[in-house]
Order: sequence, then C-alpha cells, then structure tokens
Amino acid sequence: MAAASAERRGPRDTIAVSVRDVGMVFGDVHAVRNASFDLPKGRFLTILGPSGSGKTTLLRMIAGFDAPTSGEIYINDRPVSAVPPHRRAIGMVFQKLALFPHMTAAENVAFPLKMRRHDARAIPEKVERYLELVRLGGYGGRRINELSGGQQQRVAIARALVFEPDLLLLDEPLAALDRKLREEMQLEFRRIQKELGVTTINVTHDQREALVVSDEVIVMEGGLIQQKAEPVQAYRTPANAFVANFIGVTNFIEGVVAARDGASVSVSAHGCTLPGVAVGEALAGGDACAGAVRAEQIRIAPRAETLGNLDTLVEGTVVDAIFEGERIVYEVRVPGLGDQLFRVFDHDPVNHLQFSPGDSVCLGWNARDMHVFKK
Amino acid sequence: MRRSRAAYPWTWRVMDGLESLAARLWPARFEKGLPYLMLAPAVLLVGILVLGLVQIGDSSLRVLDTSTFLMSEDLTLANYQRALTESFFATVAGRSLLGSVIVTIVTLIFAFPYAYLMVRTPSSALRKFLLVALFLPFFIGQVVRAYGWLIILGNQGMVNEALGLVGVPPMRLLYNYPAVLFGLVQYMLPFAVLMLAPALTAIPAELESAASSLGANWLRTFRHVVLPLARPGLVGAGLVVVTLSLTDFAIPAILGGGSQDFIANAIYDQFFRTSDQGMGATLSLMLVAVGSLLVGLVFMLFGAGTLAMTGGRK
Repeated sequence: MAAASAERRGPRDTIAVSVRDVGMVFGDVHAVRNASFDLPKGRFLTILGPSGSGKTTLLRMIAGFDAPTSGEIYINDRPVSAVPPHRRAIGMVFQKLALFPHMTAAENVAFPLKMRRHDARAIPEKVERYLELVRLGGYGGRRINELSGGQQQRVAIARALVFEPDLLLLDEPLAALDRKLREEMQLEFRRIQKELGVTTINVTHDQREALVVSDEVIVMEGGLIQQKAEPVQAYRTPANAFVANFIGVTNFIEGVVAARDGASVSVSAHGCTLPGVAVGEALAGGDACAGAVRAEQIRIAPRAETLGNLDTLVEGTVVDAIFEGERIVYEVRVPGLGDQLFRVFDHDPVNHLQFSPGDSVCLGWNARDMHVFKK
Repeated sequence: MRRSRAAYPWTWRVMDGLESLAARLWPARFEKGLPYLMLAPAVLLVGILVLGLVQIGDSSLRVLDTSTFLMSEDLTLANYQRALTESFFATVAGRSLLGSVIVTIVTLIFAFPYAYLMVRTPSSALRKFLLVALFLPFFIGQVVRAYGWLIILGNQGMVNEALGLVGVPPMRLLYNYPAVLFGLVQYMLPFAVLMLAPALTAIPAELESAASSLGANWLRTFRHVVLPLARPGLVGAGLVVVTLSLTDFAIPAILGGGSQDFIANAIYDQFFRTSDQGMGATLSLMLVAVGSLLVGLVFMLFGAGTLAMTGGRK
C-alpha cells in the first residue's frame, strides 16, 4: 500500500493533507487501521466504502471531532491532533447539513465569519457573493425551512466555504437526496470546487458519485485503505477483488491459475481454460484465484459467430431480463462454468429486450477485461 | 370458522365483545360525536372547578362579622381594600413573587446542565443514574422531603454536626427565607429537567459539531446555537416552575416555620385559623389573577415555548 501512496508528484505540488499511519480504536473495534495518504493542494479526493468501512471515522479525525488513537494528521505540514475543530480552518458539509434552523440562510452563511471575527463591515457583501456562487443570490432572507432540499444543500456549501478554509470536507451530504437532484449536486460540487480550487475530501458509499466528482478515489473496507487511485484506474485496474466488486457490477469466476506469463494468466475453472490479466505479483501457477469480469464488458449474442473475435466465449440460458431504461440487465446461467449466474448489461439501443427468459445465448469477453486476483 | 376464531387469545375476544357492545350503544352515525364524548370527563372536571371559582368569587365579596362569626349578607369590596392596603398581605405577596422568580432562575440554571448531560452523554449507565437520582426524591413526596430537610439542616442536624467537627459553632439553617428557597429549588429541579430534556433532545448534536467546525468554541456554540434552540424548553420549564413555586404551600410552611409564609399559607390561615372565608377567597382570587398575569406576561415576551404544543416548528 505504501508504494501505491508514494505517487509521483511534480516538485511544485504542495501537500494540503497528509495522513500518517492513522488508526482509531473504539473499545476492541479497529475502525481505522494504519491509514496513510497524501493529498496535494486543490485536489478532490473521495473516500469510498460501504457503511462501517471506517470512512466517516477517518473524515471526523481530519475535521478534529475525534482524535486518532495512533498516527498523526498534518494539514499544511502542521500536526493537528492537539488542535480543536474550531481552531482548524476546515469547512465541513454534514450528512444532515446541520444548518441552524433559528437563522436565515444569510445568517447561516455569516455565522463562521462572525465566529472567526472577520471584519464585520465586509460580512454582508461576502455572504451575498458566496450565496451567488452557489446560485442562491437573493435568497439570503429566507429561513432554512422555507428552502427546498437542494437549496439547503447550497446554503450548507456556502457556509462551509465562505471563510475560505484550507480544506473542505463532505460527509455524504448528498445521500438523502433523490437521484436526479443528487446527480445535479454532484456536478455542482465539482464546478464550485474547480472554481475555488479548494482541496476537498468527500466521503460516500455511492461509487458513481466517487467516479463523477473526484480527482482521486480511496476505497476503504474494514478500516483499511484498499486502493488509492484516479477514478479511471480504480475502475479499470482494481487493486483487489473487493474493489472490483464494490465499483461496478462484477462477475467472479473461481478457479486455479493454470499458467502465468508476465501479466497474462490463464485460469482453469470447471474444466475450461480462461485467459485473463493477473493483478499483483504474488499470483503464481497452482494458486486458487478469482477472475473478475464487469457486467458491461460482457457481450451477449444469439450465436457465437456474431461475437467474432472475443477471447472467451461461453454458452448459457437467460434466466431473467430486467429493463432499466437506458440498459437491460440479463441474468444468464452458464452450465459450462458450474451453473454460475452471470450478470450482463446490454446497452444496445436498437434491439431492446431481444432475449427472453429461457433463450439460449452466447456470452463473450476479452482477456484484458478479466482481472485475476489471488484468493 | 368457530375453531379459527378460538385460536385468537381470549383478550382479543373480550375486546371483540366490547366493540360489538359499543357499536350497539353508540351507532356509527354518532361517530362524529365520539371525540366530544371522550372530552367530556375532562371538561366536567374543569367545569366543577370553575363553579367553585364562582362560589369563591361570591364569598370574597362578603366580610366576616366578628361578633357572630357569620358572613355578611350584603356585598362589599372591603376584603379587596384590606388585601391591597394592609402591609402584611403586601409582604407575603412580595415574598412569594420574589421567591418564585428567584427559584425559577436558580432552578433553570441548575437544571440546564443536568438535562444537557442526561441527553448528550454517550454512556447509558450515566443516563440511567441521572434519571434515577432525579426521580428518587420525586417519589418521596413533598411533605416527607421537607421533613427530611428538617432533620438534615436542624440545629442538631447532620450539617451542623459536621460543622461542629471542624469547630464551627451551630448555625440556624432553618426557618428563614433562604431555607424556603433552597427547599423549593430542590423540589422544582426534577420538573425543570423533565421539561428541558425533550427540548434538548430535539437539538441535533450535529449542529454543535457544525458550530465548532465553523469556528465557534463551546461558549459561543452555547450562546449562539444551543441556547436559542433550547428557548422553548426553557420557557416551558420556567412557566411550570414559576407557577408551582408561587402557589406552593408545604415547603414555606415546613421550612419557613410560620415566619416565611407564601400566599398559599396566608390563604390557609384565613380559611382554617381565623375562619375568615371572605378574606381567604379574596386572597385566592388575587393569587389566581397574579399567576395568570405572570404567565400571560411570559407568553407575550417569549411565546408559550413547549407548552404551545406546536411540535412541527422546525
């Protein structure tokens, strides 16, 4: 993991946040273990993981609400464990927004400026500027309960940014929104972050959000950082089976490594030999392994000839076809691979619902799209 | 059919029987009247009290004839004139009013941290301890508790004995104004905490975290976030405490030892010592008026707080 986090940086990049071997123990539960990463200034990082993976604990330690039981966090090269939250220059947007219900939108945004004793005469102008930044110009006089969910989000963002913090933390603030508004706000976060260039750490369990908004993604599970990479890398070359499974919909084929030659590897499973790409150096001939193929990287066709030049072809029977609008999800039983169910996405816009349950089909994928992990 | 019905517990079948009986007694077309029927006992109880008030109003207009010990036939405002002019009544009223205000302020100051800790503590053991500690004296009753204070604070009481051990001569800790106020605060604390706790529960802890991340230390968080949001609870608790202590009888009687009478004690004396029903009734009505005025004033200045029952306010 250390090798992965010591990435190549230009000499001009300065580090905004540095997390060094940070651990957090509640009773006998290790919420976070040996977390280490560096975040250069101006970058948008998303910590992605299921609930209970330790991602929120890590964020709360960076914000200063909890002190790490081991390790140290540096913000702008200064250790901050002894610094209480109100002395850190961190803006945070909370899961339930935590807007002050007894104040107007403008009073909410002015709150951090007053608490930090900014020049009182400049406050109204600055508040209005930030309300305009989040496209709420003129809404300052509204009470919080007079604003819609999306507008409340925007007030929370303005409040977290108005005092020009070194760091912006987002604790799953979009989780409660409906899908359309959530996707709109994701783009809004990205726009504002690019406009102000503020270093941002976002926490979410929504893999789509992580891919859309971030410059970098950290995938966490069981208190451990599983992978830190750019979104495309995390998606294309997952570091392990957990990451492969968590980002996207992935089919796993269990088997044994038959042979390995550099990165290419062949897996023998249920009497078939499937070509794939090895992940990690440790994988060697005879090892138990799992091959991961994403649902959208499998092609589906009535006959093998139509799939032509794909490296791996298997035959199966459609069990279920689920219409999801922009795509159809097929569940296909493959007798040749131990009756395993495969999930396949079909984005073919022309021949919608071309297969029904019971149809015989052929599935195919390329060797480079099957990542083989050691078990 | 029969057997499947018998499979239900007998309590369910009893309820079915009661329901069919109710349906026969109170047919469905009367359904709109049902809420009013259920309201009737409460209205009746309050109504009887109002009738009593009318009777008291009548008594207050008659003076006691000291030669026959009968109430006068003709109506007069003489009692009111006495109550407003005699310095004894002014002293008692002033003592009660000032006392209830001091008791309210002190009780709220004590109750707030108690309720806050009870609501916010992550330890359920501590929360239970605080609740039990709050309720234990509650169960004992006011009079017994006041006698308890007599034992503890008396001239040969525990406090004076402890002071004696370090060479302090015995002090008079009872039968004075501070003793009465002390007893009242101790009596009112559970009421105030119970009124405050729900109001504090309604303030999300996340708001306090947000305030601190926005640059407010705990004092500013308290001043700008917790206190304004706790106001409905403070107003509700304050109203309960101020009315209860203004009208209290047992604590001033026992811990004041007759020298620190509140209005209720003066009323008791008029009814049962001097047998002057007219004067007693007059003082009662004036107490009702002063109490209502006080509550009305608070409503006007701060709103009804949690007593307004508008739970939907965000």
